[in-house]
Formats: sequence, structure tokens, C-alpha cells
Amino acid sequence: MTALAIPVVVHWVGQAFPMKKLAIGIYLLITAALLGWAYYQAIYVAPNDAAQGEMFRIIYYHVPSFSVCFVFFALSLLGSIGFLAFRHHHPDRAQISDALAVASAEVGVVFCTVGLVTGPLWARRAWGMWWTWDARLTTTLVLWLIYVSYLLLRRFAAGTQMQTLAAVLGIFGALDVPIVYMANRWWRTQHPAPVFGGDQNSGMDPTMVGALLWNMLAWFLWGVVILGFRYAVERRQQKIAAAEAEQALNG
Amino acid sequence: MRKLGTALIVAAAAALFGWACFLVFTAPAEPPFDWRLRMSQADHDAIVATLNHLYTRAAYTVTWAIQVGYAAWICVRWQSQKQKLTS
Repeated sequence: MTALAIPVVVHWVGQAFPMKKLAIGIYLLITAALLGWAYYQAIYVAPNDAAQGEMFRIIYYHVPSFSVCFVFFALSLLGSIGFLAFRHHHPDRAQISDALAVASAEVGVVFCTVGLVTGPLWARRAWGMWWTWDARLTTTLVLWLIYVSYLLLRRFAAGTQMQTLAAVLGIFGALDVPIVYMANRWWRTQHPAPVFGGDQNSGMDPTMVGALLWNMLAWFLWGVVILGFRYAVERRQQKIAAAEAEQALNG
Repeated sequence: MRKLGTALIVAAAAALFGWACFLVFTAPAEPPFDWRLRMSQADHDAIVATLNHLYTRAAYTVTWAIQVGYAAWICVRWQSQKQKLTS
């Protein structure tokens, strides 16, 4: 139901904000201010970790990146389901869903890349190596590869079936997200145990939680900015493709 | 004006990425396993603190490089679509 409602909501938001430029400007200002504030919290306010020292601060960018990445992959899943549901009877809604699916998958890959780069930088100092093939890291790399293949399919495949195939791949790709999340709960991993929602020894010092939550909020808002921009590019691309197809038909 | 803005964003992303690589590849060597035979505890702690600092800065810088780089790429696509629409 949620997937079916998304194109309607996207269309409604477009109609409901006649002062779109002002709203976007204010939103961008808030996002920029929050990114600065979150950076200040992470670097200057949160204390050093007793065991890891300053290096622990990588978590304030690493964890929010993956959190936002999971949210956008979930959005891509909804967009893919929406496309499959609407493709026969509501072509406009299907195109909106498809644009949402590809835009959120791409932005999700960007955040996943950030996580996959900052993680090894931390691991090099903490473990003495850049990478290890433990369950958490491997499932995350597989998730990244699935969505990169999704984007490559979108980029290089042609024909009427491309969007359908991409939607199916997007749905299967999203199945890896819960596996990544649960990997260090189901299996013994080199990756640290869950900080939140783990066993009775899990958790974070209250002075550090604030910095983490501020960064999560700031990066989520930034992700929405980028997603909105990417979505607009995709919608424009659909319109250009439709115009070119019509021109070709009319000779 | 918009083209200049896009070019600036691309340049900023490249500079950030270069800076992150510079921080990692010019970092001092790790203390050897038998560091207790070769240096004092204070020297060892100083090297470890420097390395931690450089890697943390590299992680933050590369995050911004990727995010700004992606924003730049979307700007470039937006510009090329605009050229298609006007031609």
C-alpha cells in the first residue's frame, strides 16, 4: 500500500508548494547549518574513546552513512514495487515510481560507498588491516555490488523490459539489507558488536550519543537534498526520452 | 554562472579526494611490533595519536569528497540535459 501511495504523495507535494524555490532555499540553509553543527559535535564536543582515542570519531560519519543508505534502499524497494504495480494501468505513476527507485538506489550507493571507504580507514588503525572477509563486511560489499549492477543495468540495457528487470533486481537487492543489519547478530564477526539494539553490554556513552544522532539527522537531510535533485534529473530524462520517441515515430 | 558553479564543485571534490589520499599516503609508518626495544612509551603514543588523527581526518575528508563529487556529477547531468532541451 505504501509503495502505491508514494507517486501520489510525490505529485501532491509538487502541487502543494507553489513557493517551491523559497522552501528549497530554506531547507538547504537548514541542512547546511545542521551539517556544520553535526561536524562540530563530532570533532569538538564528543569526547575521545577511552580505548580507541580520536579514531573512534570515524563512527560519527560511518554509521549515519549506512543508516541513510538503508533508508534509501528501502525507498528504492518501494519505488520498484510501485513500478511493477502501476506499469500496466497507470503509466504516469509507474514512471514516477521508477524515477524514485533509480534515484534512491543511486543515492543509496553513494552513502554505501562512503561507509565502505570510512570503514577500512578505521579498520586499518583498529585491526591493522584494511579489510577482512567477515560476514558483516562481505554482505555489505555484496549489497553495494547488487546496487551497482542495478545502476549498470539501468545505464547500459535498452528496450521496454529494462525498467521491469531493474525493478525486480531492486526488490531482490533490498533483501540483502536485513541480512547486512543482522550479520553481526547472527554470526561472530570481526566487525564490532551492535552498538544499539545489541546485548546488555551494548550502548554508547550519553556524551557520544548526541553527536551520533546529530550526524544521522544532518546526513539524512543532505541525502534528501541529493535525492530530490537526482529525482528531478531522472524525471527530466524521462520527458526527454518520451519526446525523442515521439519525434522518431512522427519522422 | 551555473557552469562556473558546477566547475567549482567538481574542483572542490577533486581537491578533497586528493587531500584525503595525501593524508593517508604521507602518514608516518606504524610503530614496529618490537617498539618497546626501540622507542619510549611517550614516542610510541605520539606516533599512534598522529596516525589516529590523520586517518580520522582522511575519513571525514573522503566522505565530503564523495558527497560533493556526486553532487557535482548530478549538476553536470542537469547542465547536459539543459543543452539537449535547448538544442
